[in-house]
Amino acid sequence: MPEVRERRTVSSWQEGTSNSNNYSLQSRYTEEHLSVGITWTLKADGLQQHKTTPGVTLVRNRKLRSSSPKLGDWINVGWPDDAILRWCASHMLRKKLPFLHSLLSPVSRHVGHLAGHQYDVIVVGGGHAGTEAAAAAARVGAETLLITQKIHTIGALSCNPSLGGVGKGQLVKEVDALDGLCGRAGDWAGIHFSILNRRKGPAVWGPRAQLDRQRYRDFIQSELLSTPRLTVLEGSVEELLVTEPNPEEPGHHRVTGIRLANGSHAISARSVVLTTGTFLSGSLFVGQTTSPGGRIGDAPSSPGLSHTLRERLGLRTGRLRTGTPPRIVKDSVDLSLAKLHLPDSHPTPFSFLNTHTHCKPEEQLPCYLTFTTPGVERVVRESLQLNCHIQQDTKGPRYCPSIESRVLRFPGRSHQVWLEPEGVTSDLLYPQGLSMTMPPDIQLRLIREIPPMRRAEIHTPGYGVQYDFVCPTQLSPALQVKSTQGLFLAGQINGTTGYEEAAAQGLWAGANAARWALSMPTVTLSRTESYIGVLIDDLVSRGVTEPYRMFTSRAEFRTSLRPDNADLRLTPKGFEEVGCVSSVRYQESLRVRNSLQDALTALQALFLSTSSWKKKLPSVPISETKSTLLTGLDLLQYNDVTFEMLASAFPESLSSYMEFAQRLKIEAVYKPHCDLNKKEIERIQREENMSLPQDIDYFSLPVSLSDEVREILDRVRPSTLGAATRLEGITPAAVVNLLNYVRVTEKKKETHRNQRHQEAQRDEELCANSASLPQ
Amino acid sequence: MLPLRSVCGGIWRAAVHTVRTSRGAPPYRLLSSTCDGAPAALADADTIFALSSGHGRCGVAVVRVSGPASATALRCMAGFTQRLPPPRTALLRSITDPRSTEVLDRGLVLWFPAPRSFSGEDSVEFHIHGGPAVITAVLQALGSVPGLRPAEAGEFTRRAFQAGKLGLTEVEGLGDLIHAETEAQRRQALRQMSGELGRLYQDWSDRLKRCLAHVEAFIDFSEDELIEDGVLNRVDVSVRDLQAEIERHLKDERRGERLRGGVQVVIAGATNAGKSSLLNKLCQRPAAIVSPIAGTTRDVVETALDLGGFPVLLSDTAGLRDSSDLVEREGVRRALERVEQADLTLVVVDSAHLPSEVDRAAAFLREHLSSVIRISRCLLVLNKADLLPEKQRQKLDMELRGVSGLPAVCLISCQTNEGLKDFLTVLHSSVKTLCGDPLFGAPTLTQARHRAHLQRCAAALAQYQRYRDTDLALAAEGVRVAVTSLGRITGRVGAEEILDIIFKDFCIGK
Repeated sequence: MPEVRERRTVSSWQEGTSNSNNYSLQSRYTEEHLSVGITWTLKADGLQQHKTTPGVTLVRNRKLRSSSPKLGDWINVGWPDDAILRWCASHMLRKKLPFLHSLLSPVSRHVGHLAGHQYDVIVVGGGHAGTEAAAAAARVGAETLLITQKIHTIGALSCNPSLGGVGKGQLVKEVDALDGLCGRAGDWAGIHFSILNRRKGPAVWGPRAQLDRQRYRDFIQSELLSTPRLTVLEGSVEELLVTEPNPEEPGHHRVTGIRLANGSHAISARSVVLTTGTFLSGSLFVGQTTSPGGRIGDAPSSPGLSHTLRERLGLRTGRLRTGTPPRIVKDSVDLSLAKLHLPDSHPTPFSFLNTHTHCKPEEQLPCYLTFTTPGVERVVRESLQLNCHIQQDTKGPRYCPSIESRVLRFPGRSHQVWLEPEGVTSDLLYPQGLSMTMPPDIQLRLIREIPPMRRAEIHTPGYGVQYDFVCPTQLSPALQVKSTQGLFLAGQINGTTGYEEAAAQGLWAGANAARWALSMPTVTLSRTESYIGVLIDDLVSRGVTEPYRMFTSRAEFRTSLRPDNADLRLTPKGFEEVGCVSSVRYQESLRVRNSLQDALTALQALFLSTSSWKKKLPSVPISETKSTLLTGLDLLQYNDVTFEMLASAFPESLSSYMEFAQRLKIEAVYKPHCDLNKKEIERIQREENMSLPQDIDYFSLPVSLSDEVREILDRVRPSTLGAATRLEGITPAAVVNLLNYVRVTEKKKETHRNQRHQEAQRDEELCANSASLPQ
Repeated sequence: MLPLRSVCGGIWRAAVHTVRTSRGAPPYRLLSSTCDGAPAALADADTIFALSSGHGRCGVAVVRVSGPASATALRCMAGFTQRLPPPRTALLRSITDPRSTEVLDRGLVLWFPAPRSFSGEDSVEFHIHGGPAVITAVLQALGSVPGLRPAEAGEFTRRAFQAGKLGLTEVEGLGDLIHAETEAQRRQALRQMSGELGRLYQDWSDRLKRCLAHVEAFIDFSEDELIEDGVLNRVDVSVRDLQAEIERHLKDERRGERLRGGVQVVIAGATNAGKSSLLNKLCQRPAAIVSPIAGTTRDVVETALDLGGFPVLLSDTAGLRDSSDLVEREGVRRALERVEQADLTLVVVDSAHLPSEVDRAAAFLREHLSSVIRISRCLLVLNKADLLPEKQRQKLDMELRGVSGLPAVCLISCQTNEGLKDFLTVLHSSVKTLCGDPLFGAPTLTQARHRAHLQRCAAALAQYQRYRDTDLALAAEGVRVAVTSLGRITGRVGAEEILDIIFKDFCIGK
């Protein structure tokens, strides 16, 4: 029996449903393993209801996964699937596990216990944003509660079974650099890895993987369950608890917790992160039928939540739509008619901590490429009147349009359709590019117009979703609602689309919610240092008119914000300033940084004439006319020079850096361009460091500003001088006047602080003096 | 809180950015510039130059250079090969073009080593003869010295500010100063952009944006989408053509259109207010047709004037009213465009339309003004004073002066010449003030700035070609910089605009 080092509780609770198992999950963390222990009470016949009978610990080693589980083994798959539950239940029912009582006694938190509990952070929603938010909040050190409608859908991939891509891969790398989950989950669940844009330059490489849905969910759940300070609760949030603001902070309201649906009891927290995805007033569309829901089979979030946001907090909201394709039965598709698309032969992991992926290179699954035919367009046109989703004018993503909008906007063309595996054991295919909302029978007609799917069967039809989003200009760069203290939003609720965009926001909102709850100042990421910063800055300063997706072209400093250097850019900051990075990862990033620096220094120290270089590297065409001296770094900038070549020519000084060969090559090529960017980056960062108070009354500010400028500033309330500079309609003169204002007020504050300090000192001295006076 | 000095550099860049947007809405994104120098830190700043004296009736013009390469400029233009001259001492030298070694002028040069100069940096002053030809030649020559570029609005003052050379009151007035300078540059750029040259730049800008959109589409979408293979080849051709065209343009000795210097004064107002009569009075000849029919003037009538020694370009415009006549509508559009570009607008009002009470008259004028102009400087001219009863005339004359929210008011009659003399005095002093500032009415400065941006643009296009086959991200960076540089002339280009072109041109589906 392994030693229990730490004990955390994950409670799941469902009240009022007839078949509910009242179970709670306990997780533990050890250095060698992530472990999960499970205890539960069956509220079934023959057992006492509402009495928490400690039950079972089920722990087993991942290596032993295939063999039948034994008590006391370690488990790495987090969530109990039905089989494990049944197995444990049967053992417990047969009372074969009494000896575990002592081990597991104080674990479960049942309803009554929860009600009175105060959490630091409550995260609502268990999707990509919610899971990253909850994990990040817990990493920062907040006692965190994740509330989701169904625990077993935590970490579900609602749409495409893939992660990463051009622009999105950068986000995954950055989330990983900040110790988030999705990069490692991708490495665990990936079954087809490829780097997109391989031939277009490392700055725009797009790491991407097809995922096994089940493995992804398992990983995310096991991570959450083994995260210290994190509790998971099954339930639906009815409303936010809102009260008067803390007068010392800006804002008109303060959030103090949530109230659960149909239990009507409140759970209080210092901050709340909403990651409702498509569930906020969500409705589903198939053909001409509309039903409330956030995902097929799942109810939308409570109407009370939308009401609180709109009516109580006065937030402006809008409506967006998205959709998903039908899932196709794999056996019914003739894949020999589609073009085989193989993964990279050497899969590259997303995570900076992983050297290889869980899936072995040869075990990867292929994808298939096929094309639409004129028949597809005909079916779309014939069924338009039966398709109410497409007729609505709610904004959908231009970047991920339904097959309907694709053929309507670009008629007479053939469009790509990818047939992607859904998992190693799954017998379904995901037809990327065939998102559709027509009636199911017509969906079947449509897909059968595509040659490999002539006889295809649909497992689940495609459908459209419409949902509410909160206009993100009402958020601060910490993703906090400006008017409401302690309320943070992340993911589709902010008008974005995509797993990676959601995960990135979730992590940042979660970390900030934790910092807010723990009375630490919130933190921001600059668009000059990360794609996450670009994403958040675009959202909060410009807002959205359609679902927002990341592209590399959105990042001004694309050549500096590369996927290969995300750890150098973010991990130290994540550890030192944010607190969301473990020390293991931090140490590793320092090791990498120092090694890279040493290697670059070593390269620069190789200082030879062109003729000597020619002798050392005879295969490289070094121009004869150049009589100047060249460093190893200069040489590495040549197209056909690799670090390996230099290392074999100078093994004594370079061979120890072989593990970084590719990174060094990229660093060398990009260095001159990054140096050029550096000054511009520094300028922007300085402006972003000058914060504008959120409670300024711009209309009465005693500086020379036009009414037009005052109106803009009042409406947008930029958080920093840098953000103000980027606003449409803000004149340079206005910026200078604001700068003067900020400078003067800062100075006043400082003087005030100094005075207070001096007074305090004087008081102390007086006290000291009086104390020393003879009585 | 950071030290102010370091922060200000950036703010100033922002000021500069806005000036460069010469069309329509101000830029929404100031970030898209990269790699284009002008760093914030003092030590490694660019070296800038500008005409620092006014124009019109000036015998001597002063050209200032500030920054680390000032000494280089002094060496190669004033023939100091060995040692630099003693600091802060005027020396008479031949000023030569470093490219052709042709003598451009003989004038005084002064060397101010840091920190004892206006800007706190190494500075040089050239005191040369005041003719436009000499000034242009010297500015062009300075532009060819490596490391030098034309100063942007307020840049000298910014450097002085950074170096702590400005007093507290001067810092307070800084916003206003930049406002004035950026406005002047904006108007100047508008003038240049509304002509043939503007169309040329706009065409380049459109083509470049398309190139960028197609490269970006190829980077962001080609893996998943049907971006035809030929896209990049077409960009190659386009970039090559553009680079050649821009370089040819830069070599062209004529350098596009010749702009007329002088303070631009525009007469504007409602129909039949007597605008053309005023023009005729000012130029003392019947330059414009005058009739009692509303809407007589339909196009812009332009006259060059010498107003007490200062060059003035006076334009009469069509009366502003809603009209169904196509020709007249075009006239009104041109009138408003001219007002946008004006250094000074004379807003002419028919006095007979004024309400009799002074308060209401002031409110009427305020509203009228806001319908004619948005920002530029103006004088209010109340014409047809002879039609008012004597008592009201005096009352108006007395009480409208110094009403807040109104510019200087002149009550005149083009019929009887009443008040015309006073009006001329007011106009003269306004023009004099404007001429004292080197930024007003000097097209050479705009041209020099445009040249610098075009050179940067051509160089960036070369970067595209260098990296085209090895690293598309770095190649695209070249097109990005090219778009930004040209955007400094034609107006800023944001990431969304590029994405819009992408989605218009390609069938993107992932």
